[in-house]
Amino acid sequence: MDESGAKEHVDRGEFPGHRTASGVLAEFETPADLVRAAVRVREAGYRRWDAHTPFPIHGLDRAMGIKDTALGWIVLGGGIFGCLLGLWMQWWTNAVDYPFIISGKPLWSLPANIPIIFELTILFSALSAFFGMLILNGLPKHHHWAFSEDRFSRVTSDRYFISIEASDSNFDIEESRALLESAGSVGAKVVWEREHEDKLGSDNDGD
Amino acid sequence: MEQLANPDQREEKRNLDDGRTWFSTPAAWVGLILLGGGGAVAFFSEDRLQRFLQSYLFAYTFFLTLALGALFFVLISHLTRAGWSVTLRRLAEDLAVCLWLSALLFVPIILGLGHLYEWARPEIVANDALLQEKEAYLNVPFFILRWVFYFTVWIGLAHYFYRLSGQQDETGDPALTLRMERLSAPGMLLFSLTITFASFDLLMSLDAHWFSTIFGVYFFSGMVASFFALLALLVIVIQRFGILEQSVTVEHLHDLGKLTFGFIVFWAYIAFSQYMLIWYANLPEETGWYERRQEGAWMWASLVLLVGHFFVPFLFLMSKHIKRRKGLLAAGACWVLLMHAFDLYWIIMPQKHFGEAGRIPFHPFDVVCMAGFALLFFAAGRDAMRRRCLIPQRDPRLAEALAFENES
Amino acid sequence: MSVEAFNVTSDDPTRRAPLVLGDHDFESITDTVCGVVEKPKPPVAWYIAFTISSLFALLFFVLLAYLFGVGIGVWGVQNPVGWGFAIVNFVFWVGIGHAGTLISAILFLFRQKWRTGINRAAEAMTIFAVICALIFPAIHIGRWWMPYYMIPYPNQMGMWPNFRSPLLWDVFAVGTYFTVSLVFWYMGMIPDLASLRDRAQTRTRQVIYGILAVGWRGSQRHWHRYERAYLLLAALATPLVLSVHSVVSMDFAVSILPGWHTTIFPPYFVAGAIFSGFAMVATLLIPARQWFGLKDFITLRHLENMAKIILATGSIVGYAYSVEFFMAWYSGSAIEQFTFLNRSLGPYMWAYWIMVFCNVVVPQAFWIKRIRCNVWLMWCLCILVNVGMWFERFVIVVSSLANDFLPSSWDYYTPTFVDLGMLAGSFGIFFSLFLLFCRYLPMIAIAEVKRTMPQADPHYHSAAIGVED
Repeated sequence: MDESGAKEHVDRGEFPGHRTASGVLAEFETPADLVRAAVRVREAGYRRWDAHTPFPIHGLDRAMGIKDTALGWIVLGGGIFGCLLGLWMQWWTNAVDYPFIISGKPLWSLPANIPIIFELTILFSALSAFFGMLILNGLPKHHHWAFSEDRFSRVTSDRYFISIEASDSNFDIEESRALLESAGSVGAKVVWEREHEDKLGSDNDGD
Repeated sequence: MEQLANPDQREEKRNLDDGRTWFSTPAAWVGLILLGGGGAVAFFSEDRLQRFLQSYLFAYTFFLTLALGALFFVLISHLTRAGWSVTLRRLAEDLAVCLWLSALLFVPIILGLGHLYEWARPEIVANDALLQEKEAYLNVPFFILRWVFYFTVWIGLAHYFYRLSGQQDETGDPALTLRMERLSAPGMLLFSLTITFASFDLLMSLDAHWFSTIFGVYFFSGMVASFFALLALLVIVIQRFGILEQSVTVEHLHDLGKLTFGFIVFWAYIAFSQYMLIWYANLPEETGWYERRQEGAWMWASLVLLVGHFFVPFLFLMSKHIKRRKGLLAAGACWVLLMHAFDLYWIIMPQKHFGEAGRIPFHPFDVVCMAGFALLFFAAGRDAMRRRCLIPQRDPRLAEALAFENES
Repeated sequence: MSVEAFNVTSDDPTRRAPLVLGDHDFESITDTVCGVVEKPKPPVAWYIAFTISSLFALLFFVLLAYLFGVGIGVWGVQNPVGWGFAIVNFVFWVGIGHAGTLISAILFLFRQKWRTGINRAAEAMTIFAVICALIFPAIHIGRWWMPYYMIPYPNQMGMWPNFRSPLLWDVFAVGTYFTVSLVFWYMGMIPDLASLRDRAQTRTRQVIYGILAVGWRGSQRHWHRYERAYLLLAALATPLVLSVHSVVSMDFAVSILPGWHTTIFPPYFVAGAIFSGFAMVATLLIPARQWFGLKDFITLRHLENMAKIILATGSIVGYAYSVEFFMAWYSGSAIEQFTFLNRSLGPYMWAYWIMVFCNVVVPQAFWIKRIRCNVWLMWCLCILVNVGMWFERFVIVVSSLANDFLPSSWDYYTPTFVDLGMLAGSFGIFFSLFLLFCRYLPMIAIAEVKRTMPQADPHYHSAAIGVED
């Protein structure tokens, strides 16, 4: 996933000294083709590779051998933090730092504190779910080499792709491309690193 | 999905017929002897009759709520046209028809009304202005009339679904599903009104001065949570006999666990709403009910209820890995059922006219009645189940249920 | 009922009605939904609607300036009725804001796949409704320049807010709800924003949608965590939805005022909120699907299901009204009994019976399939439901305050033109925001709709592909 890693593999490039490969990008036409190919790529021992789809595909996680995410634990942590924060804040402010009696309630009224404890638990859990997801996914991300390929813009519409990163230790331009082509791709291309990667999001020439 | 599920090709035991009818099951007889014996002992030592009836009401309500929970599940499954739960619905149908037993066992409560409810004692009503005002609703003939109506509705609904679903096993006619779906909507309306007023009559009017508009919802939430726990437990037990092993999968158990979890949270929400509003407003006509439950030993009981009915199952059933392991899920389900019984005990027992405040009145009658009811309902449920296949084998949505998988 | 309507909403138990109509493949779904945003000009109806609604929004801001200049004396609030239109509108708008998260969270947990056609627009509507709701308590405090006093921050006065007050719970509940709904809505939109980015024809669009899409590239490794986050957010938002209107109801129910203090308020308010929220979603989507050509995604079946939910929640609301009435009698408390008789037969009986008619009687029409499948009739009934739910809050707030324990302090509340203008103006803000949303953001959750289609299943074309672990 890390472009700079590709530099170690300069020698494997087709034109040493001229261009550096970022990886191989292969297009597929149906979810079934993609899942089949994903099994092949995984079995070939690749580690730094990915599938790209317009929507999550049932069974693809298993085909790719994706491990279960730790997001649940992050959310649990966020929730516990919010819960304790709510409890502590209400106890400290109303019962300790600025005590005053109102409507005949005890200074520290646990039943009356439950709503805010609950809301803060939810708030912190939800924020950790969202930001945890972004951080684990490495998003927001300014650019990814796959965006350099024009066909890749259809990944958010109706096409399925597999990308193998040049930084993968098994990566070999010809072999990797051949593997994807034999796995049912309708077109597997090598994507080369560029001199100036200044464009945001997709690579689009239209202005 | 069709290719995954051709029910006729599966080899699976789906019936538990052993030829025994209800009255030839030893459980039924032992149950009757327990209840009858307990009642006789109580009757001949006059002062204990009230105590026996308290225990009887406690056990009675527990099993009534489970049977009603089953009826709710049948209704909601048809109302939402659920596909995933088809293979579980038959078990719920079978449990819901056990409501005839609840109707039968209601007779001792009617006979003992005066021992349980203050509004049923003319000498108390004569000295209580509030009870006189409520007499238009809280009086014996109207009470009996209402309960006749409730049971007519419940048993009528339960039998309708039992019968039509059974017919579909023979004819496979999808129009029967349509008929059941049509009835489920008005059925649900009747169900919600009847259980609300049943909860007012049976439990809330034990303290005839007290009132809470949310009480029907509270009764409902505990009922449904414990029914889902019971269903999970039942499936796990039945599967140990080699029945239903393929048609009810770990995916269904996972879902039952989720539903139990969800309704436990819902119960906590309703219980907290009721408590907090009464605590906060602090009006004398309402707080007495909670005050009695915070006196002496009952304070501990209330805390046990809070921890045991909410925190323990909440934390335990949260994990997907627990819900997908039969042994652990069964343990959780037993705990939820235990806590549901405790919840009812906590509602029923601390009444002013039931004796000393601040003391938890455990009595062997509690156990005797629970055991008696459990055996009778076991026999009745078993009798309903043995009569036909344990899944609606020609339901048009059976294939969906057999292929069902949780997405995460 | 037309043949087409019958096929779409078929009750035949042997099959499930399709969620997407027409001959759509994945590309045409992207084209249709993104097309709404990409067309150079929206339909004429959009311009007309936007002009009207922005004029009302303008009216709101003019009246706001007047209110700020003169003070809350320009409203109809007076001594017994200290909570007038502002609080009625607040509860009304928060209630409307419940459908979006209900659809995206609760229906998601219940695996109701039809929700994918309507969840995006409903979530957007939620955000806008909560924005409208938040304005009212903020200006109702009178000293509108110091609402930050509600936030617990260390200050030179050494004071802290009173956390035992339900009004402060509201700040946290509605604040959390707004934040979480926004996060949920935005997160759900990321893949669709990426679609807009990848199709962008101008640099401006590319940059804006590119920033909003945070570099999404449809990676399955990302999808995996994304889906888990979505599930977790749904599981968190479900109790949150219930809690928000419960907390709002507690503003009333923790008091000792008859008609306010009743234990069923939390679930009853939640049911009412869902009821009004769904009615509002239908009110918005029935014209929107027509104008923007989205009938293939928001089908008759979607609308029929919404009608059924409106019927169900309307019946729950009716249940709550009846239980409240019964319990007022059963309590034996003279003041409780008076309050409910006064509501139904007293000076505000007109409002009470509008409420009962619109909330309990009107939705009963949805028992009839013909009415559920008659789109424009359903639209009219939904508007009546919205009217009824506004009056419900009016009845609760005003009738209890106007006639409380002490007859000598009773008074009749009459709103002023500023009250009425601000109510109308808040609708202007709401509709303007919604119309802008329709124009600039994907109205349908493209990726989610695709996922529910049969072609999305890898087993769709060939049965056996041999994915084994």
